Amino acid sequence: MEGRWWRRWYPWVILVVHVLAILIFTRGFLLTRTDLPFYSHCSDISQSPCSFSENCRDANDTASAASCWTKPAADRLVIIVLDALRIDFVAPSSFYQEKKPWMDRLTVLQNLASTRRSSAKIFKAIADPPTTSLQRLKGLTTGGLPTFIDVGNSFGAPAIVEDNLIHQLVQNGKRVVMMGDDTWTQLFPNHFNKSYPYPSFNVKDLHTVDNGCIEHLLPSLYEEDWDVLIAHFLGVDHAGHIFGVDSVPMVEKLDQYNRVLQHVIEVLESQSGPGGLHENTLLLVMGDHGQTLNGDHGGGGAEEVETSIFAMSFKEPPLSIPSGLDTSFCKVDSDGKEICISNMEQLDFAVTVSALLGIPFPFGSIGRVNAELYALGAGTWNLEGTGMGNRDAPKLEHWLLNYAKVLCINSWQVKRYIDVYSASSVIGFSFEDLLHVSDKYFQAEESWKHTTKNSLLHREGSYHSMLPSVTRQIDAFVNFLSYVSELARSKWTEFNLKMMGIGIGTMLLSIFIILFAIRRVNRPHGTFLPFGGDSGISFEVMSAFLVVAIRACSFLSNSYILEEGKVASFLLATTGIINLRHAVMKRKMLFEATSFLLLIFILRLTIEVGMSKQAATSLFMNASSSWMTGIAPGHPVWRLMTEIGPILALFLLGYLLYRTTIACSSSWGIWEFSTMGTFSSFLLIAVHWGSESNLQQLAILLQGIGKGYIPIIVYATGLGQLLLMTFGQLFSEAIDYKRSLVMKTVAVLGACSSTIIILSGKQGSLIALALIIGGYCIIRLGNIEDDVVDRANGILTFNPLAVTQWNLLAVCLFFATGHWFDEFVLVRQALLLTIDTFGFSLILPVLGLPLLALSQYFIGRTDNGKDSFLKQMSQVWGLFAPKFVFDAVGLVLTDVCICLASLFYSGRLVDATQQNQMTGK
Amino acid sequence: MKEEKKQKKKEPKTTTPSVSPPQAFLVHLVCGLGLAAPLWVAHNLFSLTLVSDPSSTLRLIWVVKTVVMILVYSSFRQNPEQCSYSRAVGRGILALPVGALVSALGAMALGAPVGSQYLAKTINWSLFMSSLTVICARGFCIWLIMDRLATDICTYQVRPNGALEYMICIPAHGAIIGGWLGAWPMPLDWERPWQEWPICVTYGAIMGYLVSTIASFGFVVAHRRHRLKGD
Repeated sequence: MEGRWWRRWYPWVILVVHVLAILIFTRGFLLTRTDLPFYSHCSDISQSPCSFSENCRDANDTASAASCWTKPAADRLVIIVLDALRIDFVAPSSFYQEKKPWMDRLTVLQNLASTRRSSAKIFKAIADPPTTSLQRLKGLTTGGLPTFIDVGNSFGAPAIVEDNLIHQLVQNGKRVVMMGDDTWTQLFPNHFNKSYPYPSFNVKDLHTVDNGCIEHLLPSLYEEDWDVLIAHFLGVDHAGHIFGVDSVPMVEKLDQYNRVLQHVIEVLESQSGPGGLHENTLLLVMGDHGQTLNGDHGGGGAEEVETSIFAMSFKEPPLSIPSGLDTSFCKVDSDGKEICISNMEQLDFAVTVSALLGIPFPFGSIGRVNAELYALGAGTWNLEGTGMGNRDAPKLEHWLLNYAKVLCINSWQVKRYIDVYSASSVIGFSFEDLLHVSDKYFQAEESWKHTTKNSLLHREGSYHSMLPSVTRQIDAFVNFLSYVSELARSKWTEFNLKMMGIGIGTMLLSIFIILFAIRRVNRPHGTFLPFGGDSGISFEVMSAFLVVAIRACSFLSNSYILEEGKVASFLLATTGIINLRHAVMKRKMLFEATSFLLLIFILRLTIEVGMSKQAATSLFMNASSSWMTGIAPGHPVWRLMTEIGPILALFLLGYLLYRTTIACSSSWGIWEFSTMGTFSSFLLIAVHWGSESNLQQLAILLQGIGKGYIPIIVYATGLGQLLLMTFGQLFSEAIDYKRSLVMKTVAVLGACSSTIIILSGKQGSLIALALIIGGYCIIRLGNIEDDVVDRANGILTFNPLAVTQWNLLAVCLFFATGHWFDEFVLVRQALLLTIDTFGFSLILPVLGLPLLALSQYFIGRTDNGKDSFLKQMSQVWGLFAPKFVFDAVGLVLTDVCICLASLFYSGRLVDATQQNQMTGK
Repeated sequence: MKEEKKQKKKEPKTTTPSVSPPQAFLVHLVCGLGLAAPLWVAHNLFSLTLVSDPSSTLRLIWVVKTVVMILVYSSFRQNPEQCSYSRAVGRGILALPVGALVSALGAMALGAPVGSQYLAKTINWSLFMSSLTVICARGFCIWLIMDRLATDICTYQVRPNGALEYMICIPAHGAIIGGWLGAWPMPLDWERPWQEWPICVTYGAIMGYLVSTIASFGFVVAHRRHRLKGD
């Protein structure tokens, strides 16, 4: 009795353990940073402790204070983004051990940086991985760290919902013009006044985007109808992907950029006089990420994250910033020119640009206003602002005070974000961290009050005495800001290994539970145990485990994950060949083995077609059309086949269903009645497809029958059948256990299949047919070792190879239906298909189910394990996460199915099996 | 040797011709050379490699290899009286396309690309595989058709027990398993030219064949020793 109780509850226990394990693992693995739907506004500044009026000294400042957070330092901004700009494209070769062909190509930038050292600067910008254009553009504009689950991205529309630079520009009346890479228009669909997007998709095309950019960039520089211009060039990125960095096309591209930049700077220069169009214009030439010598990027390697920003103001700033804020590192060129390179984080880009343009900082930004970049804008207002003296010191002091104020606003904004974030997010920062953050913030703020008071006191007096206190103040803010960004980095971009370990441990535990469960369940009637059982380890068991192990290992590499469908069909074919060998050896079931292989062959072709749907280039289609020339796609025969084929398959399914019903049932009960429901559903589906078909006469004939109702009727029938069966389960009495089990299975399958078939479209019936044929072959071949006499009982014995095959077949079918794990559009269908495949797996005896599940769990577990191994690999971000999510969903779903199945079937399992044994004896 | 063979003849069931270790070594050496020579010739005389022109290289290999294999193994016959040398050679040649067909179908089921641009490569590759396994394939197909009535040299059995069977079946299986393993680097994103079908599969098959040839020689020696002990 106790045992029975246990047996009933095993599936539920396992389900709970799995859900737990997945939850724990997810907490560690998925770096969840929630996007907050809050936006910064101009008026927010009144809440900050850094009010403007206290320390501003002239009317000019109060006027601009009305405009927004900071005093604008630049009126117009030209941002030229050169995709995948390595730092050594910009930095002079004297910084490196030897001069490579691609170095010193952007000479115009280097010359400016050496001749006009105070107004033109080269920065080495460090990007946060993942270093892909989309993620980097997000990071650059939001000033935040990348979110791990880009749900928006996965669902197809990657528009940024967080507060960002472009949004702030638009909110504050700046007109933005964009040209080049169309990723920008995807990210900011309604933000640009004018945009000239060019497709970034074709990597082999080096010139379309660049030429389009150049075509619009130069005329736009003479226009007055924009405030911020963004030009995104892709040529270097594409040249890197195709030819690598050390190649002629790359050098040509860089030379071309050099000419374009020269032209741009000449135009800007010519208009930069007083009253000119570009009087207060700032030019930024920047990369979004670097690339390796092979032209790859995406990861967190030094070559990939190190990119460059060249900034130039056309007004000479009147001051050089104090050495404490200067991060530059200088080297003398071979020509005797000295060039300096400063350091900055890409994280700081959004907030610095906001400060320069005088717009509110993006709400979620955690960057810090970069002193050197910010100082470049000083030329525009410092000259007019200070009438105090012509020495440098007061100017510097004034600027520093202003910078301290900007940092104060910056710190306040970051603190506000951290507070709001930890209040609204489930997975926030730990309490101690928050305490520390507040502590640092209040320290800085306290001293700020002191400083401002001082500055008021010293307004008329000497400025020299203030310099140290302002510098200290700046240090305090910088300290706070860098602490926050460090903290955020560690929380948001590093995996929590402990959590992941616990999750994997729990998963392992569940496997032991399953093993234990199998032992317990098997003990009463002494059936074959798969592990260390009485019959030893046979060849079948070994090959099954080998296949499972290989499949598990294949998840360790992203290449194999991309080709998962092919790998699964490869393994399935391998087992099929092993079966064939067996069959040939035993000289029986040759037909089944051959047809199984044939089925795999067809599936494999379908998988390839399904994959090529993913790649819009559809290479396969080009290839396949050449060998399918006999039947061109437009040919009427071909059309007829695609129209009639599914319907024929449907009738075949119905026929099979009918035969099994006849064979198994002696009398007409609830199950038989429900099978009738399936027949009618099939008929309706056939009518539905017929009415949808392109064959005119048929469509017209069936138009009268309201085709909109058919799917609803089918769903209703399926639901009704399921309800009926639940009802029947409660009241039915099984006389012949085996018969009724088969009958029940068929009835359930029938009930589910009609819904699933109509959902998955015309391929549904074909796939269902393939599944039935495959299942039949697997079961027959699995019994190849057994006596033919014992075939009636054969259904209750299982062999691991068959279960593995079953699992692989399910995977293959999944891919054959054109699913692809990072395509979430079909979530509902995919889930239903999962139900379908696992639902069908109930054909296997209930005893076999735990083992099927077991092989699944093996995969699930190593899947998780793999993720921890590949901690360093940043491809994890784009690729493994959806995979993980998907597998987790699949696993839980399997569990639920198993639970339901066990509830459904196991009612009289014990009695029946004992009965069987008795009769057997 | 001859005496031994004649002795064996008297017991009709165990008519496997015995092979001494030096003989086996010689056979394996010739077979190995049959594989290495065309590779060398292709590389040095025609400046062909598997990577640059897989079809032609494979063609060269399988032609030479088939000739060597059939000529060598046809001298080991179960019933030299019933089955003359020339007949054995003829059967070997007949078996070649059958083996090629089987291996081509197997490869396609496993995932070999289908398409007109791969046709020549696939045909040559399957003939190459067939040439590695030709003797085994011959025994296999004849056994399949005539149900063990074939009075041929290789009775294909689940567990090879004679030295000759080791020599025939182990390298053949090794080649197939090697080819199977050789397919594994194909999906990786290294973008090397040798990852193309059928280059790395061919490499895998060659490696598997050579390794298992050595292994089978070991088996022959062990078998011999075992039998001597038994006597």
